[in-house]
Amino acid sequence: MNVKEYISSGIVESYVMGLATEAERQEFEANCAQYPEIAEARNAFELALEDQLLKDSAITPLTLKDQIHEKIRSSTFESNTTGLEEEKTPVRSIGPWRWLAVASLILLAGTLYWALTTNGKYQELQSKNTALQDSIQKVNDGITATGGSAGAGPKSDFKMASITDGPDASVSIYWDTLSKDVYLIVKNMPQPPTDKQYQLWALLPQESEAPIDLGMIELRQERLLYRMKNVQNAKAFAITLEPKGGSPTPTGQPMVSSQPVNL
Amino acid sequence: MSTKSTYEEHELVASLRKKDEEAFSYLYEHYSGALYGVIKQIVGDVELSNDVLQETFLNIWRRIESYDETKGRLFTWILNIARNAAIDKTRSRGFQQTQRQIPLDGEVIQPSVRPEIDDYGLKKLIFKLKDEQRLLIDLSYFQGYTHEQIATALHIPLGTVKTRIRSALTQLRSLMQ
Repeated sequence: MNVKEYISSGIVESYVMGLATEAERQEFEANCAQYPEIAEARNAFELALEDQLLKDSAITPLTLKDQIHEKIRSSTFESNTTGLEEEKTPVRSIGPWRWLAVASLILLAGTLYWALTTNGKYQELQSKNTALQDSIQKVNDGITATGGSAGAGPKSDFKMASITDGPDASVSIYWDTLSKDVYLIVKNMPQPPTDKQYQLWALLPQESEAPIDLGMIELRQERLLYRMKNVQNAKAFAITLEPKGGSPTPTGQPMVSSQPVNL
Repeated sequence: MSTKSTYEEHELVASLRKKDEEAFSYLYEHYSGALYGVIKQIVGDVELSNDVLQETFLNIWRRIESYDETKGRLFTWILNIARNAAIDKTRSRGFQQTQRQIPLDGEVIQPSVRPEIDDYGLKKLIFKLKDEQRLLIDLSYFQGYTHEQIATALHIPLGTVKTRIRSALTQLRSLMQ
């Protein structure tokens, strides 16, 4: 490698200022470890940038320092993290068992409700009932542990809709038509660009009515079940890619769900 | 709070890792103005900039363990935390409609100097660059657009965007002396 050429290519400035791509960063870090001249060039630019910004800086509001000190002392800030390391999660792909576990919970809840409101077959169902409640408890514990919140009890009547877009995107939506709760289970979704997020919408029976925002989907590797905003009425659901934070009405190309069917 | 007058960098990092508030106080005294300048130049709004500066220092306090001195100086690390937090703020709900000045699709408007915001630090320097170089640094560094987005918006091939940004950065560096 021509070290001089590499150093003067602008990679040093690009790396230090956070404008290099992930691949460039890794290469640069490896090169710094291998060639001391490159590490020196990096250090020299870092010092130049630091000097520049320190000698010509802004005046911060006086009260801010105390506010920050108060916050670092309070224990509450631990919980509201805005972690940078969470930003670059890889494309998610989840083993089928976890989504099956949640789906079975919802299915069980539906079955249980039906069972309890049906007079016939009572005897046969009673023993099943105990077994089902055990499994619900187990699955519920599992869900609590993963941070989800499926409040699915007997008083629910779920409809299910799927959204698929090629082999890479597959999502199921469970809509409780009694409580109006909406849950979304991600089986597979490509990670959006860092400045974009997926947003879920309910499409209404009258096409003239604007889709209703059901919230943003914060894709995380470890997260499978998402509780979305409730909705009274829906003909179908749709997901669009929107600027981070979401849009009041969909602007991206929608992936539209199947018609919700009873479970 | 009394503040120790000076720290060697490795000493400062070691103290921060021990969650030493005096070291944190020094860090704030020493670097907050430089970070605040960059944050204001990205966010453009004083209230929101205060929020971002606060988030930045909380994140430094929480995440000092993940700072790796083999990858660069402490200031580089905290500057990148500040820049990322500021760009995130400009992507938050409602911000884009009200504050963002450059629509990336279609026509690109040349930014003008905002008094009290752009007349110091890096922004002051980039106004000495050629228009195109200034625009590229503004879009990539201050507005956080990816090279791909810039290529699409300006109808320039991706490879060209990359080489032009790099040459703008080396030009910027030569102005830092």
